[in-house]
Amino acid sequence: MDYLLSARALMGISLGFHILYATIGVGLPLMLMLAEGMSLRTKDELYHQLARSWVRPAGLLFAIGAVSGTILSFELGLLWPRFMALSGPLIGLPFSMEGFAFFIEAIFLALYSYGEQRLSRKILFFCTIPLTLAAAASAVFVISANAWMNTPAGFRMLNGTVTEVYPWLAFANPAWAHEAVHATLAAYVATGFAMAGVYAAAQLRGETSASNKRAVTLALAVASVALPLMLVSGDWSAKTLAVQQKPKLAAMEALFTTAKGAPLFLGGWPDPASRQVRYAIRIPKLLSFMLYRDPDALVEGLDAFPPGTTPDPRLVHPFFDLMVASFFIMLGAAGWFWWLRWYRRERAPGKWPLRALLFASPFGMIALESGWLVTEFGRQPWIARGQMLVTQGVTTQAGVTPVLFTFLALYLVLSAGLLKLLLQPASKGKAAATIPGDQHVEP
Amino acid sequence: MWSLDVLAYGVVHIGLVMYAIFGGADFGGGIWTALAWGPRAREQRSDLFHAIGPVWETNHVWLIFVVVTLFTAFPKGFAALFTTLLVPLVLALVGINFRGAAFAFRNFGKEKAGGQIPFMVSTFAVASMLTPCFLGISLTATATGKILWVNDRVLAEPWFWVEPFTLMGGAIAVASCAYLTPIFMTVRSTGKLREDFRGQGMVAGLLLGILTALEVPVAMAAAPLFAARLLSRQGIPFVAVSGILGVTTLVLLWKRRFLWAQLAAAGAVAMTITGFAAAMFPDLLIGQLTLAAAAAPRATLRAFLLVVVSGILVLAPSLLFLYRTFRGEPNPQIPP
Repeated sequence: MDYLLSARALMGISLGFHILYATIGVGLPLMLMLAEGMSLRTKDELYHQLARSWVRPAGLLFAIGAVSGTILSFELGLLWPRFMALSGPLIGLPFSMEGFAFFIEAIFLALYSYGEQRLSRKILFFCTIPLTLAAAASAVFVISANAWMNTPAGFRMLNGTVTEVYPWLAFANPAWAHEAVHATLAAYVATGFAMAGVYAAAQLRGETSASNKRAVTLALAVASVALPLMLVSGDWSAKTLAVQQKPKLAAMEALFTTAKGAPLFLGGWPDPASRQVRYAIRIPKLLSFMLYRDPDALVEGLDAFPPGTTPDPRLVHPFFDLMVASFFIMLGAAGWFWWLRWYRRERAPGKWPLRALLFASPFGMIALESGWLVTEFGRQPWIARGQMLVTQGVTTQAGVTPVLFTFLALYLVLSAGLLKLLLQPASKGKAAATIPGDQHVEP
Repeated sequence: MWSLDVLAYGVVHIGLVMYAIFGGADFGGGIWTALAWGPRAREQRSDLFHAIGPVWETNHVWLIFVVVTLFTAFPKGFAALFTTLLVPLVLALVGINFRGAAFAFRNFGKEKAGGQIPFMVSTFAVASMLTPCFLGISLTATATGKILWVNDRVLAEPWFWVEPFTLMGGAIAVASCAYLTPIFMTVRSTGKLREDFRGQGMVAGLLLGILTALEVPVAMAAAPLFAARLLSRQGIPFVAVSGILGVTTLVLLWKRRFLWAQLAAAGAVAMTITGFAAAMFPDLLIGQLTLAAAAAPRATLRAFLLVVVSGILVLAPSLLFLYRTFRGEPNPQIPP
């Protein structure tokens, strides 16, 4: 296996793995804050108990997030030292800020999780506020580094070295705003749907306790507030891409040839050889209209850029479609649920809406992961767009392939152990809750 | 003297010391979980586990902090280190994985019948010794002078980091972890359990003292430039203070002055690392790449130091709140 491919595969797998945990790390604190806040406001113990029941899975998922984050910080150097030597002074700042945010997150999660005997209920609630803010901030900061790779800014290249460094301009690079908003909202949607799915499944199994119902409502409410905003931030992202990252946009939309009145392709398989999109639904002029509000506007296709500088649409367009389709699946399931709740005033939705929720529950994560793949595959062949190719950033150490297999084995073992634990928590969590002082039962 | 790159070096150093003291105590917890013996082995493990729980994640963020500071402030040095030390750093990462797995799985699976620690967990705990060992090896490797910096490129023999000097460095790192944990535990336990931790701390302290003292003559043979600086005016004060603090810790443990012993032990480890850093100064790769040459542009260093200062203003009170809340005897109450 060629070692560039190994390095890319290892980085991609590590990030794809980390993103799952990081996402819950952003979304779950908000849920904790809302539940504890509701409990204080309404004096309803159920909300508090609900929040406390999330502590154990949160601890486990956060621990894995911390470990996988450490691995990533090492991999930046182990796999991409030449890229880091170039970009460290520019993207180091957001990473440092993320580091501090992560500290705050870890500290207040620990206080919230382990502090029930030592802190008052009010203080416990107050701990969830910096926790939620720091969690969101860590996402917003670290996305700046990713955005910089897409739209490098804040420096001048002189004979292959970076000069005239403006770290704050690099931090606030052009792609940062829309990426940060879109991805942070996505974390709330993904966590909300994942949690709603867990509790919908419990209800379908017949565990229709009041706290299960409340959990579905709370998780789905968070997701449903964020979901329409995804559409707005997605539209903003696409319009910004049309200015800043045209090749990526062309690959997303599988637009091979520059055209006035460009069509929108739904689904299909882009075939670079024939420059056709096979099996797609083609809607004339819609892409031009969506991007510029003008059905005859000119949209640049992949052919507008020099060969070898554009991404492969086969890796970008399908994931883009998957992301958009996931959005509509979630919208449908959530819409049905709220329709029953509000217009038909059904306190307890029946089996089919719950099944729909359960079906839709993984699509938040699927959308988030595919959106990330669109961003990354859409940046190729660049590691820093227009400045450094991926091939120029990779390590000169040839021993990357055994490292890849070492980590693949590790991730497999970890995931297997994790799944085993997560699939049997319900009864355990209850057992622990009913034995408040289980002094020395454990080894 | 106090140029921006030296200040940034100070930040790396603080991060490293914090990781050694807090993260080190965690790895020590893993080591003693596996090594616990005697009639109260089970209580020892249990206490270790409960004391570590609330601070586990925070302790490990220090390592990320060090790595991030390195690539922000010393990008060239970072690239050089991570290119030449690929193998030991990967092994250290494997250990971090094991430690995380041991901790998380234990935390989750613990009400299981209250029997023995699952085999998987103790295996992971032992395997997590990989991390301090290989991080110690990697750190010591920067002092060998065998990572060459020629024409803006880094060069090193593939297995240059396997030699008595660096292996001793790894052993010292493991011993430091095993040393800190029981001493920290003496103020978090009572009665016979406390006596157990006291004994473990004294044994580990003696071992650590012997290893560190032996490393000096080994350095004189294997890393002459490092040894010369360590024994010159720039290094010797720290060596002396670290030795004095080490002996003081043993005396304090002997006299059962646990609170002070805890501080002295942390100080001894901090001073050992400070002595190392002082002997490296002004180089990042000894004799090859200076801090100034490895440093990021001034604008980055300035912005970075601003971030660090503002970050510490938020972090310090939060950390104090955390450690104050969970001081004293560990609370066996687990989260529901």
